[in-house]
Amino acid sequence: MSGRVIVITSGKGGVGKTTASANIGTALAKAGNKVVMIDTDLGLRNLDLLLGLENRIVYTIVDVVEERCKLKQALVKDKKNPNLCLLAAAQTRDKSAVTEEQLKDICEKLKKDYDFILVDCPAGIEQGFQNAVAGATEAIVVTTPEMSAVRDADRIIGLLEAKEGIESYRLLLNRVRPNLIKSKDMMSVEDVVEILSADLIGIIPEDTGIITSTNKGEPIVNDEKSLAGRAYMNVARRIMGEDVDFMNLEEETSVVAKVKKFFKGLMGKEK
Amino acid sequence: MKDNIFAELYNKLLGFFRQAEEEESAKDVACNRLRVVLMQDRTNLTPQLLERMRSELVELLSKYLEMDKEALELNLDQEGEQMALMLSIPVIRAKDEEEIEKALAESEKAAEESETDDEETAPEDEPSEEETEEADEVEETSPASTSEPVADSQPAKAAAMKFPNKEICGDCRECELSDDIECEKKQQAASKKTTK
Repeated sequence: MSGRVIVITSGKGGVGKTTASANIGTALAKAGNKVVMIDTDLGLRNLDLLLGLENRIVYTIVDVVEERCKLKQALVKDKKNPNLCLLAAAQTRDKSAVTEEQLKDICEKLKKDYDFILVDCPAGIEQGFQNAVAGATEAIVVTTPEMSAVRDADRIIGLLEAKEGIESYRLLLNRVRPNLIKSKDMMSVEDVVEILSADLIGIIPEDTGIITSTNKGEPIVNDEKSLAGRAYMNVARRIMGEDVDFMNLEEETSVVAKVKKFFKGLMGKEK
Repeated sequence: MKDNIFAELYNKLLGFFRQAEEEESAKDVACNRLRVVLMQDRTNLTPQLLERMRSELVELLSKYLEMDKEALELNLDQEGEQMALMLSIPVIRAKDEEEIEKALAESEKAAEESETDDEETAPEDEPSEEETEEADEVEETSPASTSEPVADSQPAKAAAMKFPNKEICGDCRECELSDDIECEKKQQAASKKTTK
């Protein structure tokens, strides 16, 4: 088996890299793939929290690199899905504790046993980014329809294009608010895609469910009713090579649609 | 009376919609600002360098045309993969022959004085070098263009049109020699090209 190594990056912090990693990873595992997630944000790890695995971590990536344990010992299995596991970052060390070569090596070893290796990249364009990108052949650039996030995404795309190892990258547009786009207060999906001239892998609507799911330590893809959850599921299917249409967010969130849905639900119950 | 009321209403409605149209939405502002910022990020042209390029262009073009220097607009635009330099200059009036020659003579004097300085600073001028390449291409096609670096083809052509009967030297635009006799300026230009 030779798995695909995908780095999830953004440049700017707070746009939803870790949330995206947790959800895409979970979605890929739900679809039957063997998935391992690597948190490379040394010193500021959070992927364990989003997956609800913070109490199960014994060894971290630094322990693997410094040979205090075997690679397999450091992989933490997910609570629900045995196909999914996490290689956590060390919280007590900084970005220099792991080198590009060491990360490349870890990715190569994991490729043999897993279908997908998702690398959660730290914010910024310094060594942490260079390390995370080192072992990957594909990239997902997370951005939001805000100026600062788009600008940083452009910078990251420039850096990814200069990287020899990266064969392709695609854009994940997060925290899209259809109402603001409709009133022309927010850049539309088309605007961002045109400005960055990059291919899209997904559009994720702003969803308050993300906050509650983070609090519970359970990725939102597990909630099949949630809009963001379904959008992440679609991203996973696109990664797997399926041709999935993008959701029409305007329709999904309009009041009329909600009222219609409500009445449809009532009618269904009566029958 | 009724007609008046309707006319008023119509005008008010029209005015309302026009206002709505004219007001730039937050999204458009964001898009436009982003385009400018990304262009600077991608080209490594800082606002200072752009300003310098602008002032150099003003200096050059004002030899040939009297123009509104403050209103000169210089923008980099992206159309798909292709990047374009957009230059918009409001021309107040065309200069006449004497004025142009005077301005050229002055600039040449200044150039001679600072020739040694120029050679030292030349490699730094990335934006103007790009322009030179474009200008070189233009030179090949139009016989009456200047050998000045950073030359715009339009003013040169306009100047040549004004006195079509005279044989103007295609190189320094000062002496009235035909092309087969080489003036000093042409020789200099030729030597410069070979060293490049």
